[in-house]
Amino acid sequence: MCEAPVARLTEVTHRYGSTVALDCISLQLPRGTVGLVGNNGAGKSTLLKILLGMLRPSQGQVEVFGVQLHQAASTLRRRFGYMAEADAVLPLLQGVEYVALSGQLYGMSRRQSFRRAHEVLGYVGLGELRYRPVEQYSRGNLQRLKLAAALVHDPDVLLLDEPTNGLDPPGRDAMLRLLEDLIAQGQKSVVLCTHLLGDVQRLCEHVVILARGRVVYQGPLAPLLQLRTDQYLVRWQGSQEWLHHLRCQGVQITPGANGSQALLGLPSGWSTQRLFQVAQQHGAILHTLRPVEEDLQSVFLRLSEKANSDPKAEA
Amino acid sequence: MQIDLAHYHRWEGRLRGPWYSALAVTRATLRQVFRRKVFWILLALGMLNFLLYFALIYAGTQLPGVGDRIMERFDFTVHPDAQRRNGYLRFMEQQGLVVMVMMAFAGSVIIGGDFRQRGVSFYLAHGLSPWHYLWGKWLAVAVLLGSVTVLPALVLFVEYGMFTSDFHYWWENKAVVVSVLGYGLVMAVVLGAVLLALGAWLRKTVPIAITWTSLFLLSAAWSEQLRRTTGDPHWRLLNLWRDIRCVGRAFFGFYARREDVQLAPWAAGALAAVVLICVGYLWAKLVHWRRWE
Repeated sequence: MCEAPVARLTEVTHRYGSTVALDCISLQLPRGTVGLVGNNGAGKSTLLKILLGMLRPSQGQVEVFGVQLHQAASTLRRRFGYMAEADAVLPLLQGVEYVALSGQLYGMSRRQSFRRAHEVLGYVGLGELRYRPVEQYSRGNLQRLKLAAALVHDPDVLLLDEPTNGLDPPGRDAMLRLLEDLIAQGQKSVVLCTHLLGDVQRLCEHVVILARGRVVYQGPLAPLLQLRTDQYLVRWQGSQEWLHHLRCQGVQITPGANGSQALLGLPSGWSTQRLFQVAQQHGAILHTLRPVEEDLQSVFLRLSEKANSDPKAEA
Repeated sequence: MQIDLAHYHRWEGRLRGPWYSALAVTRATLRQVFRRKVFWILLALGMLNFLLYFALIYAGTQLPGVGDRIMERFDFTVHPDAQRRNGYLRFMEQQGLVVMVMMAFAGSVIIGGDFRQRGVSFYLAHGLSPWHYLWGKWLAVAVLLGSVTVLPALVLFVEYGMFTSDFHYWWENKAVVVSVLGYGLVMAVVLGAVLLALGAWLRKTVPIAITWTSLFLLSAAWSEQLRRTTGDPHWRLLNLWRDIRCVGRAFFGFYARREDVQLAPWAAGALAAVVLICVGYLWAKLVHWRRWE
């Protein structure tokens, strides 16, 4: 089996008139589960459209499974299953016809597409609703129907654009469990494009963070969420005078709810030992010193903020 | 709702090219059209005229006495001198009215709904280019149109041949098939392009029906008024429906007026221009949609 990455973009720029949607980005989408996150207008949808061959980049190279996208666009596109964010409803079609149509549009024969549509609808839990007209599906069922339509031709890669958008918590959990099961059973690569960072944290091994058309982080998710060594939560007994001395030496201090707790942001070169020394010198006794655990949400906000304040910075 | 965590099964099979997928667009569109009862009613109305002609042919060939009188008014053979009475041509032109009404209501179902409810994104995200999408949609229009014009006309041709004493009728009058197909093709190409463009632009049934009807009725009135005022027959080219009939009749070798002989190539040019404008508009619309939606 070829182990080329799902996609490799080299210095890709895409412009809509004078607006730059993707600004000379180079990134690699490895096999496995990749979360694609970014604010509105960060360039996520443009990136997906480029991968689907719906847009040709203004500049740069796009390789999909090791092959130049423009050389075999129609063949390569069939290795993707795309679940769009927007509800594209074809009224008066039954669920099974909708999914079979998706298969036929990918190039399956009519008979095979219907057989497979029944199968995937059963898999996503819509077996009993398959003959219902599409416009009568509830929000949650419509999301599952769209997933079935993306799965019908058994693609290697699923591009999921906001798959849990608009779902209530049980519906969201059910969809995520379905995706987890699919990733485990179907051995598929998944590119998950979402605003819900909890979904990415739950499903993805890798993450790509986009901000203003640039990549601010790409790589495994785990190191990103490791404990930070520059931020500590401290609790102490004694006076607060030592905090004043810390502030004078460039330590950022966010006071806690009560008077004996604070969040400290250490400048580079500082060690925890120095904190103990300062506290001891000023009669304070530290009884808690814990590195701050950062979730994806905080990492994302931090990196986005950094990218916005310094547009040329790239992680 | 409980999730059925059934096992996921892999699928292995051959995927065909996007032109094949365009046929799926056609099938899905026709399925959407015929899920609406109004189209079955319109189709039934269209078939009434067909049944009338079917009965005429039966009476004309099988009932002595009555048949001669009928055949004085209708001719079902290729006679260059009797094309004014050509039954197939008359049938095609009368069915054209049914087509006009049917298309007025079909525009929003065929393509307007795709733009209203993002069906276009669904199609284009499956690796289809705008050309594949348009080809699939146009085929759906052509099938609808052919089912009330070309197909019944060919059935009449077969019927007439079966009621004649020998089977040479079909061979000797094979030009009828070409003429019917040609007339049908002209209608399908022009009406299909105009309907798809109007549907993509206006999207909803009522605006499409009003504009569609106005397009044909007003252009007829304006062109006739201008021709009368200026005395120049070329103004007749503004009448789109007349242009279609003029070119369609040319397939039967029939020209209603002497000036039509000269106007037929111009009419064909006018129709080609209309089709090009409509296709250009649709192309721009779909490319814009693919970029922004």
